[in-house]
Amino acid sequence: MLVEHARNLAGIADATHAEYGQGGTPVITLLECSLQDQTIAVELAPGSLLEKLYGAERVVEHTTCSYGLSPRMQHIAEEFGMRIAATDGTGEVRAIERVDHPFFVATLYQPQLQSAPGAPHAVFLGLLDAASAAP
Amino acid sequence: MRAVVVTVLIDLPPDHQYHRATLEAIRHASDDRGIPIDIRVVSTDAIGDASRIATPGSAVVIGPGSPYRDPEAAHEVVRKARERNIPLVGT
Repeated sequence: MLVEHARNLAGIADATHAEYGQGGTPVITLLECSLQDQTIAVELAPGSLLEKLYGAERVVEHTTCSYGLSPRMQHIAEEFGMRIAATDGTGEVRAIERVDHPFFVATLYQPQLQSAPGAPHAVFLGLLDAASAAP
Repeated sequence: MRAVVVTVLIDLPPDHQYHRATLEAIRHASDDRGIPIDIRVVSTDAIGDASRIATPGSAVVIGPGSPYRDPEAAHEVVRKARERNIPLVGT
């Protein structure tokens, strides 16, 4: 999602994901410290959709990510209609969302791993609520 | 109530833990809200026309498991969902 955002809204036509090899401007790069199979504390941005959905300022999530937003590209997460919805303890971006969209969210953690019968995850509730409310 | 078509873009095999967890999380939310759903699993190399995925009243979930087989097709679905106000979550 950040690559699409970078290419089509931020004007970085050759934006790419480092996982796909050399060339272009890498927007998503290998994390200095892999978050593969880790539990992390996530700070939700005040006023964000995610904060509203979770009903909390700080949550714990599970992540399998080895890649994240390049430190040199952090600024694009706050430009052209995108905003930072969550960060981790190091201050790095862990979720983004669009301010001009009913539900457009990307997480650098896996909320589905915290969902259970009778205890659905707030992100997936928000997704279905938004879809069912669409005209 | 009409069913929400939820397209899950994922290249991991159906028996993979993260594949299963993604579908189950959608079902958990559906059960909780009483919102009927129609889940359609699509691998990125089978997306074809992104316009037919990001349609009004639908939702899109981009599952874990990069590198994707066809990242450009996935980007096109993201673009269509953004432009058409289709709910989308990327995990």
